[in-house]
Amino acid sequence: MRREKGRRPRKKVCSFCVDKIESINYKEIGRLQRYVSERGKILPRRISGNCAKHQRQVTLAVKRARSIALLPFTTE
Amino acid sequence: MKKYELVFIIKPMEEEALQAVIAKFEAMVTNNGGTMEKIDRWGKRRLAYLVKDFTEGYYCIFRFTGTPATVAELNRVMKITDDILRHMIVKEDE
Repeated sequence: MRREKGRRPRKKVCSFCVDKIESINYKEIGRLQRYVSERGKILPRRISGNCAKHQRQVTLAVKRARSIALLPFTTE
Repeated sequence: MKKYELVFIIKPMEEEALQAVIAKFEAMVTNNGGTMEKIDRWGKRRLAYLVKDFTEGYYCIFRFTGTPATVAELNRVMKITDDILRHMIVKEDE
């Protein structure tokens, strides 16, 4: 099977590495909200472009934020 | 001694009642072998989902150092206090 022609998607870079952020806190909801879908799901790495290290931190931070009602488990 | 962070949400009530609840837990930290470092009050916030049929809550954050016993005792009392909607104690990083 031949690969579809077209532009190769641009390589994404981890925005946390770019900003040199070491640890992600569950209290910064403004920042975390960018890594959550409209329905409140955590975005996968292939979409968010985070590196593995920061994606793990995002996951933990989102889960903590959910448990204290800062972020929704689900909307609607 | 480890550093902990305690976040809790109090029912929306009058200022004095809130004050009393916060003071009570502040005293609990020191009475159970912990030392308070910082109290952060976020004030009233909308909750992301309904908690015990409330749409709003008063957020308060304690940063303290303590022993596992301090945490256990806080956890126990927080659970049985009706004015507390939610609470969470996490070990602080950094």
